[in-house]
Amino acid sequence: MTTPIGPPPPFDPELAAALDVIGAHLPSSVTADMIQPMREGALTAVAGEPDLTRGGTFTVTRRAVPGPAGDPDVELLILTPHDADHPLPGIYHIHGGGMIVGDSTTGVDVLQDWATEVPSVIVSVEYRLAPEHPHPAPVEDCYAGLEWTAKHAAELGIDPSRLIVAGASAGGGLTAAVALLARDRGGPALAGQLLLCPMLDDRNDTPSTLQMAGRGVWDRTANDTGWTALLGPARGGPDVSPYAAPARATDLSGLPPAFIDVGSAETFRDEDVAYATRIWQAGGQAELHVWPGGFHGFDLLVPQAAISREARAARLRWLRRLLGA
Amino acid sequence: MRDLAARLTALDPDAGAALRVIAYFDRLTEGRAGLEAIVRGAAVLAGCPARLSDDHRRLHLRVHPDGTDATAAPADPAWMSAPVGDGSVLWLERPGPPGPVDAMILERAAGAARTVLDRTRIHPAALLDLVLDADAPEPSRLQAAARLGLTANSRVRAAALPGGKAHLMTETDPPLDPQARAGIGPAGPIAALPASYAEARTALRFTAEGTGRDPGPRVVHAEDLGGLALPAAVAEPVPDVQALTRVAATAPWALATLDAVAEAPSLRAAATALRVHHSTLQERLSHIDHVLGWDFRTPHGRLRLQLALALRRLTRSA
Repeated sequence: MTTPIGPPPPFDPELAAALDVIGAHLPSSVTADMIQPMREGALTAVAGEPDLTRGGTFTVTRRAVPGPAGDPDVELLILTPHDADHPLPGIYHIHGGGMIVGDSTTGVDVLQDWATEVPSVIVSVEYRLAPEHPHPAPVEDCYAGLEWTAKHAAELGIDPSRLIVAGASAGGGLTAAVALLARDRGGPALAGQLLLCPMLDDRNDTPSTLQMAGRGVWDRTANDTGWTALLGPARGGPDVSPYAAPARATDLSGLPPAFIDVGSAETFRDEDVAYATRIWQAGGQAELHVWPGGFHGFDLLVPQAAISREARAARLRWLRRLLGA
Repeated sequence: MRDLAARLTALDPDAGAALRVIAYFDRLTEGRAGLEAIVRGAAVLAGCPARLSDDHRRLHLRVHPDGTDATAAPADPAWMSAPVGDGSVLWLERPGPPGPVDAMILERAAGAARTVLDRTRIHPAALLDLVLDADAPEPSRLQAAARLGLTANSRVRAAALPGGKAHLMTETDPPLDPQARAGIGPAGPIAALPASYAEARTALRFTAEGTGRDPGPRVVHAEDLGGLALPAAVAEPVPDVQALTRVAATAPWALATLDAVAEAPSLRAAATALRVHHSTLQERLSHIDHVLGWDFRTPHGRLRLQLALALRRLTRSA
C-alpha cells in the first residue's frame, strides 16, 4: 500500500454526459436524514407501477414463507416464465438499496431480461431494512427465503442443481453473505453467485472509497450511512460478522462460482476486486469485470451506453455458460 | 433515467433542456467520445433513432434510443438533419421542422461529430491518394483503406475519372453515374488497388466523349481491353490515325460514321445506330472510301479500322 492515491479515475464519457443530465436528481452523498424521503420516492422517480407480468410472459406470485426462528414471515416475489413446462434454473434475488431502501421489485426488471434470454424462475425476497432492523435481520431474512426456495424447488418449477443467488449493490453484499451462510450451515447447494457491484466492506476505507468521496453515485458518506444503519456503532470496528460484511470473511474457500462486476470509478471497486482475488487465492472460481469509467450502478442509470451494453452482455454470457441454456 | 428524452422534455424547453443538451455533448467532446457515442446521444436525447451518414467514408451509423445499432434504410429527406461538414450529415429520424430542443440536439451533436472527424483527420481525398499509391508502404495503404470503410477482405476496383480524379468501387457500392466518363480497373484485394488504378487510367485513355466529333464509349473496363491495352505503352503517331484525322476534317459526321461501322455488327445496324437511312449511309461511306485509303468492309480492314479508332483516342488523350 505504498502507492499514493491519485485523483478519481475519469468517468466513461458517455456515462459522464448522462450523469450531467440526471445529476441534479441523484446526490452522491446520502445521509441518514435522507432515508425516509428516499423510501417515499423523492430521489428515484419511477413512472408508474412496473408491469411485473411483462405483458403476460411471467406469472407473478407472492408467498409468505417462514422467516428466521422467532421472526415474522418473509414474503417472496416469484416470477415464473409463462410457458415453463420443465424445471428451469432458479435465480434467488436480493435487491439493492444500501440496506436502507428498496423492495423485492427493485431491480427485478434486470433479472426478467436475463430470464427472457435464459429461461429461469426468479424468486425475489422482501427482507427487513435497516436501521429499523439492523444486522442480522436483513441477511437472516434473505437466508430463510433461500432455504425455503431450495426446499420447495420442485414446487416452484426450479431445477435444484441450477439454483443461483444474485444481487446488486447492498443486495450483492447480502448475496455474498447468504452464500457464506449456505456453506457454513450446510444449507442449499448453490450453482453460482452473481454479485453486481456488491457492497462488501463496512470499513469504508479502501483507496477507491477515498478517491470517489463526493463523486459519482453512492460515495463514502452514503456508504457510511448504509453501514451505520445496518451495524450501528460497531461499523468499522473489530467485531463485525462476515455475514454482515463478507469482506470480513477470513475463509473464501468452498464457495459457488462467482461473477463479480464493478466500475473503476466507484466506491466499491477495491473491495470487489479484492473479493474476487481472495476467492482465487482460496482455490475458488470467479469471473471479475472492472468496467473502466463506470460509476455505481452505471448500467441501470445509463442503459444505452456502449459500456452498459457490454456489461449486461457479459452477465448473460456467464449465465448461459453456467446454466447451460 | 431509462428515458432521458422524457426528462428533457419535462424541462423548460428554452432554458433547462437546451443547457442539458449543451452539457451532454460538451462532456462527450471533453471525454473524446467516438462518433457512435455522439449519434447515440442524439438518439437518446431526442427519443428517436439518429444516424450519421458520410458517403465518402462509407460511414453509416444508426442508433436506436435504447442504444442498439441497426442497419439503415436510406434516409428520408423529410427528416430533420444538420450538416456535419465535408459531406457528412447528422439525422434525427423524425419529420421537421425541429423544435427548439431538437434543433439544439442537431446543432450540438453535429458540432461534436465534426470535432471527432477533424481530430481523427479523416480526409477522404488524402486517404484515396494513399491507397492508390504504389510507392506507399502496404501497411499504410491498408490502414487508409480501413479508414475509407473498406474491410480487409473487400474486393474493390479503382476507377480513373477525367482530371486525374479517382474513385473506389466495391461490389456493394452503387454503380457510377452512367453519364460519367471513366476507365475502370479490375476488382481485387485492397493491396492491388495501385495496379487496378494504373489499368483504370489506361482504360480512361480509350474512352471518348461519345459525341459526333469524339465518338466512342464513355466508360471502358480495363478487363475488356485485352491486347488493345498494349499500344497504350507506345504512343507513337501511326499513319492510320492521321488518315482518320483527314476523314474527320471532311464532314462533321465522318468520324461518327466510321465509329458506328466499326462497332455495329452490320452496315444496316450501323445505319440504325446513326439514325440515318441505309442509302444515306452508303453515300457517306463512298465519300469516306477516297480519303481513308483502305477497305474497311473486309474482316481485316474492319480490324484495322477498330485499331485505328482506339489508337486515335489513345494518342488524343495522351
